[in-house]
Amino acid sequence: MSVLDIAKGMGVTLGHLFKKPVTVQYPEQRAQVAARFRGRHHLLRHPDTGLEKCIGCSLCAAACPAYAIYVEAAENDPADPVSAGERYASIYEINMLRCIFCGFCEEACPTGAVVLGHEFELADFRYQDFVYGKDDMMVGVTGSRWQRREAESKGKDVRLGLESSHRAELEGVDD
Amino acid sequence: MKVTVNDVEVDLAPGTSAIDAVFAAGYDVPYFCSQEYMSPVGACRMCLAKVGAPRKDRDGNWILDDETGERTIFAFPALLATCTSALSEGMVIDTLSEEVKHAQNGMIEFTLINHPLDCPVCDKGGACELQDRSYEYGSGRSRFEFTKRHQEKHHPLSDLITLDRERCIHCKRCVRYFEEVPGDEVLDFIDRGGHTYIGTVEHGLPSNFTGNITDICPVGALLDATSRFRGRNWEYDHTASVSLDDASGSAVVVDARTGRIERIKAGLHPEVNKSWIDDGIRFGHEYTADPERITRPLLRKDGELVEVPWPEAAAFVAERLKEFSGKDVGVCIRADATLEEGVAALALAEHLGTGQVDHAPRYGPTVMPPAQATLQELAVSDAIFVVGDVSEEVPAVDLRIKDALRGVTPPPLLPHGVPIADLRLKERMPRKREILCVAAPYRVDLMRHAGTVARYDVGGEETLFRGLIAIAEGGSADERVLGMTLAAAKAFVDRLRAAKKAVIVTGGFVLSSQAAADAAERFARAVGARQLVLGPMANAYGLEAIGVLPSHARYDYASMVAGGAKALLISNLDPAADPAVAERLAESRLLVVHDMFMTATARLAHVVLPAKSGFEKDGTVVNLEGRFMPVRAAPVDAGEAVDVTGLVRELGLAFGVRIEGRSVRSARRSLRKTLGTDLEELTGLGAFVALPRRRVAVSVAARPGVRGRALRVPTMVRQEYLLRNPHLLATLGGPALRLHPDDARTRALSHDDEVTVRVDGVPRRLRVYVTDAMPSGVVSVPALPDAPAGPADVDLDGIVVERRRLEVA
Ligand code: SF4
Ligand code: SF4
Ligand code: SF4
Ligand code: FES
Repeated sequence: MSVLDIAKGMGVTLGHLFKKPVTVQYPEQRAQVAARFRGRHHLLRHPDTGLEKCIGCSLCAAACPAYAIYVEAAENDPADPVSAGERYASIYEINMLRCIFCGFCEEACPTGAVVLGHEFELADFRYQDFVYGKDDMMVGVTGSRWQRREAESKGKDVRLGLESSHRAELEGVDD
Repeated sequence: MKVTVNDVEVDLAPGTSAIDAVFAAGYDVPYFCSQEYMSPVGACRMCLAKVGAPRKDRDGNWILDDETGERTIFAFPALLATCTSALSEGMVIDTLSEEVKHAQNGMIEFTLINHPLDCPVCDKGGACELQDRSYEYGSGRSRFEFTKRHQEKHHPLSDLITLDRERCIHCKRCVRYFEEVPGDEVLDFIDRGGHTYIGTVEHGLPSNFTGNITDICPVGALLDATSRFRGRNWEYDHTASVSLDDASGSAVVVDARTGRIERIKAGLHPEVNKSWIDDGIRFGHEYTADPERITRPLLRKDGELVEVPWPEAAAFVAERLKEFSGKDVGVCIRADATLEEGVAALALAEHLGTGQVDHAPRYGPTVMPPAQATLQELAVSDAIFVVGDVSEEVPAVDLRIKDALRGVTPPPLLPHGVPIADLRLKERMPRKREILCVAAPYRVDLMRHAGTVARYDVGGEETLFRGLIAIAEGGSADERVLGMTLAAAKAFVDRLRAAKKAVIVTGGFVLSSQAAADAAERFARAVGARQLVLGPMANAYGLEAIGVLPSHARYDYASMVAGGAKALLISNLDPAADPAVAERLAESRLLVVHDMFMTATARLAHVVLPAKSGFEKDGTVVNLEGRFMPVRAAPVDAGEAVDVTGLVRELGLAFGVRIEGRSVRSARRSLRKTLGTDLEELTGLGAFVALPRRRVAVSVAARPGVRGRALRVPTMVRQEYLLRNPHLLATLGGPALRLHPDDARTRALSHDDEVTVRVDGVPRRLRVYVTDAMPSGVVSVPALPDAPAGPADVDLDGIVVERRRLEVA
């Protein structure tokens, strides 16, 4: 090893000293999330009728490698349907502690009802608070349970620590 | 008969179908319409294969190939439906060639043309023959771009079965099933061509065996309404067990999900229920998930029953039991308790030093006849005499009798199991009605299929058998007693005597009188018939066999609750439904009730202990033919409920002793000593175990004399749980008080009125069911575990109409 080699190495180090740092001052500064980032799930509705897309078929649960999803179905009241068709999910739960955010559920869903969004700030305190139900994931709900609790107690809107570009398939989810 | 399937040569009996040869050789063809135990009809055209066979010339020599000298194989001009083709010597079947694949693929495409492909919302999805076959044999693509047929998607065929007409692929299994198996033609094809659909003429499906069509429908067209949308097939835990609903020991598969039973399907037992179960077994499971179920021990504190931990409840019982001398304590379990539970009850009684131990319901006469018939023997019998209503009492027996009427012996098992297409079975086969005689005090369903029908008087079983014995001995008898003409009786007695495999089937009506049961046994001996005795509950045979019996007739269950026992441990029985008994029990010094629900007796108890249902325990039962069969626990969340072995374990812990039977394993160790068989090793099919000794008859206390002409009748559904089985309740409308139209008129009752009436002093809420099946002057009410089938006292004069049927405006 010659002195020249050492100088070269030092040169690289010195060069970085003058570059703009990539560190993000999260959470003060929002994290930039890539369009196809896989975060917390959203349950979608048909944009025209407002009916839930989910038909309670449990195929997402079958596809899930982490056994994170639990679905229980029931029959729609034709006079006041929850979803299009005969069947809807009366219980739809995802255990966010088990979920590995692989997106297999989204891939398995025959109706495009469950999609992985961009939210990733899911930290919470108690085990049961990680089991997200329909109320936590239905389209239009912003933020994790904890964020929503926090926002409610402060009487403010949920502040997400992320920014992302629009993703077309998340109809009505982003923005 | 040697045939070649692709490259495998198999040797099968002549008459075997080609489809079975394919499966026996280890190959597969898709099929939709063939079904085990039913006639092959070739409706779906799915089982196509290329078939060829050698031929003989006019001299009867095989035509040989000139060059090779081997037999020339002449291929049939078109592909054959293998299910309707019988094997012939040297047949060559090809299921693998491109030609066959192409044809099968084409058939799948045709079948799917009008199929809605709504698998994600279909309860059959994941266990669907069409889904599997399309995946295995279809091309995976559809060329059909037009609008599909649209039909009704939620048609309630009955309260128990939902039909999705779009999904039906017209395999005709369900239609054939009703005609061939129970012989109730209640379903048929309506309309033609692509518009064909399945339907009934009347509302509902009047048969006791409707649920089986949900098992055999190859698609999701016919579905169990109790499990509609409850779960997907891969989510269920399937437990192969034995039904504790009746004494047949029918194989069932219990499907549970997240600790809840969602549905019951028929299991396969070729020698017991084949692959059929009755609706009482299939749909009668909802009570296990009833919200009112007791899941924790309850102890009376300051007059209130409050939930306590098990050790506290057990310690209380143990402490209080010290106040009694052993012989004052009574222990009684229900007759559908397992053998292991029986051992536990016996061991507990022994520990306490009491002879007051019993199982109920139990009749005085034995349910273990000296010449025991099996269900397989019944199915090939050439003369069957039935007394009572088997179709309600043990419906599986009804179906095996109908097997005998078809006259086709049970098929031998092939390497792949039951033959898929048994070519001996045909649609609308003639039935040998003449071999069946049915006698009952009212019109029972099986009479429709009987060549000889006898309607004797209520309580006339003993005189009936005496009359028949007299005839068998060359004498004569009164026609009124026989309920049929003397000539008919003579002819049938002669038939029974001439028959090689005569079977006499008797149930609760005969068991309720010692004299009648003795006469039946004498008659069976006189004509050389074997007997099948329908015990009152699932394990009546077994509990009798291992001697869960009082040491003296004075100590039986009826005497216990009548004041014979000062301290009582009762499992799953409800004696206090009778107000007179309730009064006495209210004064008892210690009443421990082990039950699933707050019964009248539980409300009086000092301690209530949560009980497991028959689906939740492991154990062994002995069915009516003496076959030991393993019961397996389904994964059901029953809280802290235990069976009797668990109860004895908890009490033993409180006593500080290790009582035999404190677990299923401990009970089995003890049974191994008495039976010489390790019940641990029983397979699902069960086994006959030589019983070391016959029971010493211990009679039951005489019941109060019976006035009037009324009967407690056996029913297919379990009456004690009927109100907690919403789907069955909707179908039946409630426990029925059945009476003749004339009687209804004179008492100003109409069909569907809700009434309260005293049955043997016990007020019961019943629904009036007007039917000419009852003779005028005779009424019937459903039997209960505490009031099994037999003559009853129904106080019609004191009847109170609670609610009139809503008049149609
Ligand atoms: S993202 Fe993957 S791990 Fe998470 S719920 Fe969906 S399938 Fe399961
Ligand atoms: S999210 Fe999709 S896959 Fe999951 S149950 Fe609903 S419809 Fe089925
Ligand atoms: S309803 Fe089912 S069993 Fe009946 S014909 Fe249609 S597909 Fe076959
Ligand atoms: S034609 Fe349906 S199985 Fe053969």
